Formats: sequence, C-alpha cells, structure tokens
Amino acid sequence: MHMHKFEKIWLIFGFGALLVFLTVIGVSAFYLGNQPPSCLATIDPEKVDTTAPFNEPGLKKVEGKEWDYELVFVASAFSYSPARVEVPLGAKVKVIATSKDVMHGFQAAGTNVNMMLEPGYISEVVTTFKNPGEFLIVCNEYCGVGHHMMHSMIEVVE
Amino acid sequence: MAKTELNRKIDTETEVEDSTNLNGTLASVMILGAILIITWVGLYMLFLSR
Ligand SMILES: [Cu+2]
Repeated sequence: MHMHKFEKIWLIFGFGALLVFLTVIGVSAFYLGNQPPSCLATIDPEKVDTTAPFNEPGLKKVEGKEWDYELVFVASAFSYSPARVEVPLGAKVKVIATSKDVMHGFQAAGTNVNMMLEPGYISEVVTTFKNPGEFLIVCNEYCGVGHHMMHSMIEVVE
Repeated sequence: MAKTELNRKIDTETEVEDSTNLNGTLASVMILGAILIITWVGLYMLFLSR
C-alpha cells in the first residue's frame, strides 16, 4: 500500500500520543495507586450520623498515615457539615465525605478537589492545601430546590 | 445515410487534481496537534499549581 510520507508522520504522532496517554493512565492506576474518589467504600446512608468518622465532622489530626489531617464532611439537602472549617497552610489532608440523602457534589472552587457524593458510598480524596485563602465548597450535582444555596467554606490559614 | 452514434466514444475523462501535494494538510494537522499539546500542558500546569 502506498502511503504518503506526511501521512506516516501524523499517524506516528497520533499513535504515539495514544500510547503516551494509555501509559500515563496505567502508571497512575497500577503504580501510583490512584483511584476514583468513590472506590467501593460503602456506608448505610440512614446511619451516617452514628458511623465513624461521620459522627464527628470536621478536621482531625492523624498520626502515622500518609496524610496529616482528615477532613470529614457530611452532605445533606441543602447543607454541608461543617459549614466552615480552618485548615493549616501546606497540610496534606484526606477529605472524606458522604451524603445522607440524595446525590450531592463537592467542589472546592480553585482547588483540585471535585467529587461526587453518593448516598451509601464514601468519597475520599487526598490533597495538599498549598495556597492560603478562602475556598468555597459548592454542590455541583442538582439535588433539589435548595441546590444553589448549598455551600461550605474551607479557610486555609498560616 | 445517417450514422448511429452507438459506437461514439463518450468523453468521460475528468480532470484529476494532483493528490500528492499534502503540504497544506500537513500544516493544518500540525497546527491542530500543537493546539492539543498546548491546551493539555496548560491544564496540567493548572492542575499542579492549585
Ligand atoms: Cu446538594
């Protein structure tokens, strides 16, 4: 089959890009152990208030883990608990959250924290708060009439 | 005597464009590739910075 020299160039470019991205995904998942925020961890949505760690929402210092703090959030129509929390600058934090009723979103605007909170499932993400300031947490999954009022605030302080 | 035109050759030749010149195609493919790489790197930098 005759193939133009230029066609070879962009085919190699295309397949090369495909290979690079598949490798990135493979390394991320199997070597670095990255996983989606909701990864098979379940909870009874009726008993969220009495199940650890969700019986005590908020920031907690932890020892002997890969992260320094655990930040627990409980979402329910149409609010988050806690409604405001302070986090020290540069802290490596594992955010652990779930929903008591319907599906909610959890996005800390201006950070890489953005996940879905499904009733019955626990969503987790590890992040480092590198920049000081206030970061608004918004619900980005339509959850009902009060959806647009649903928010919380993370304040990163020095 | 009138002649039938059954054997008349019909002119079917159409002009064929020179399809071996792909300079413009190469340029547009490379521009598209560059746009993809620039946006990908830009978003990755954004991801790392926040
Ligand atoms: Cu919501």
